[in-house]
Amino acid sequence: MSDRRRINGPAGTTSPPVFAPYSQTATATALRQRVRKPNELRKIFLQTGIVPSASGSAYLELESPPEPRLSLVPTSSTIKLSCSVHGPKPLPRTASFSPNAQLSAAVKFAPFATRVRQGYVPSQTEKDLGLHLENALKGVLLPDRWPKSAVDVAVTVLEGEDDQGEGDRFAGLGLFNLLAAAINVAMAALADAKIDCLDLLAAGVGAVVPGPDSKPLRVLDPAAVEHDDIRSSCVVGYLPSRDEIVELWSNGSVSTQNANTSIGFDEMVDAAIAAARGAQTVIKEALVESMTRNQMAGKKPSQGETNDVEMKT
Amino acid sequence: MAASLVVPGQVLASTSSHIPGSGTHVYENNILASILGTSVVTPAPNKSGKPTISVPRQATAVASINSLPKVGSSVLCRVTRVRQRELSASILAIIDPSSPSPAISASDIISYSQLTDDDLQFQCILRREDIRTHEKDKIVINDMYRVGDIIRATVISLGDERNYYISTAGNEFGVVVATSEAGNAMVPASWKEMKDAVTGKGESRKVAKPS
Repeated sequence: MSDRRRINGPAGTTSPPVFAPYSQTATATALRQRVRKPNELRKIFLQTGIVPSASGSAYLELESPPEPRLSLVPTSSTIKLSCSVHGPKPLPRTASFSPNAQLSAAVKFAPFATRVRQGYVPSQTEKDLGLHLENALKGVLLPDRWPKSAVDVAVTVLEGEDDQGEGDRFAGLGLFNLLAAAINVAMAALADAKIDCLDLLAAGVGAVVPGPDSKPLRVLDPAAVEHDDIRSSCVVGYLPSRDEIVELWSNGSVSTQNANTSIGFDEMVDAAIAAARGAQTVIKEALVESMTRNQMAGKKPSQGETNDVEMKT
Repeated sequence: MAASLVVPGQVLASTSSHIPGSGTHVYENNILASILGTSVVTPAPNKSGKPTISVPRQATAVASINSLPKVGSSVLCRVTRVRQRELSASILAIIDPSSPSPAISASDIISYSQLTDDDLQFQCILRREDIRTHEKDKIVINDMYRVGDIIRATVISLGDERNYYISTAGNEFGVVVATSEAGNAMVPASWKEMKDAVTGKGESRKVAKPS
């Protein structure tokens, strides 16, 4: 309100509009059910080399098929992220000598990323996401190749996935989907920056939801608006060639006391790993495609036409 | 093996048949790629040796710096501050002596408009005793270098957390591009003098030997 570095709005309090629910709520809820198979991922669009001033950059979209608009409240499950990597560059003035590269990662929401407008001050959600992203990327980096240098990874959330009903709070599954997408886009940007890595780090989300017979059902890449009840979910950062997990975050609870249900925590982690393997193929194809485009640009400088990039599954 | 595109984590060869080169790492008897690029197999120098597999780093227009300065690599620096016993400079480009073509190609030169912030460039320090090989005690730094000169130097130490340590001892090191007090370009006249291209007035510099 009293920010002297920005244009402030009215002095009194303002609040965003809250829309009343439509009369056909039951029909809208039924149409929001998951139409994908339990092991099917959403479509991923990934492209690298979009920011010329950065050492490496990437853009990722995670999109659902468009659904009919039955209410004024647009509940979408689209994630749009942009990531830029700066470095290796000199260390900040306050840092001491280090024989390894110092990686720092930050996740920032654009003000228009969610239904309820986000502020400029970094919130606790952004700090949590930044810490988890930094923890995952440090597991894949080879830091001793770049002594006394710094690598900055900045992920901007252009559009976040809405949680159920409420649009103001990121928690649970929406947060996990956002972290998985942030890890994937940051890995593509790091590879685009030619920073030495162990593997193509990929992240995936798995969840346990009630199935058709009220039995637990494992799903890959769950969306928050597609499931009414999510018992447990987790996100993993996974190195496929080494079969290692560098990041693991879960919430909810999966009971293993019941003998009938065989889905436990390990099976949920396996579901997230399977989702990460699927995401890794997309990252690999996007990187090979950008390498091919760079080689063609180097060989034929006269070819100036811009080709459209198609969506990949 | 033909040159093929590789991604980080891709298995290139076994350690029993190849030697890992740059851009690779070893994991459980396998050589894996570390960076995105194309794999290159260098034949063995002799019969008993193994070929070296590496993923060289391509110099693209976006990549601001391809490798960090290391001990022994030649660098192009711009002098930013001259003091009585040392001078500060910013590293603009790196010449790797182990590369097959030691001359800098035109695409490797970083333009001034791209990286002019000194906080984004690696800083280095040239001490007074490292300017030349003879008569070290009689050096006046202001007669050797001025602010804004482009010098060619060699890295002698990684230094501390902020600065690399460089040296211009040697005939091929010194000022390569300089501007006169009148603002014109200067050409090398001798090992210690540069002349204004317009007015012909000479200024004292530690001049690099033209290659």
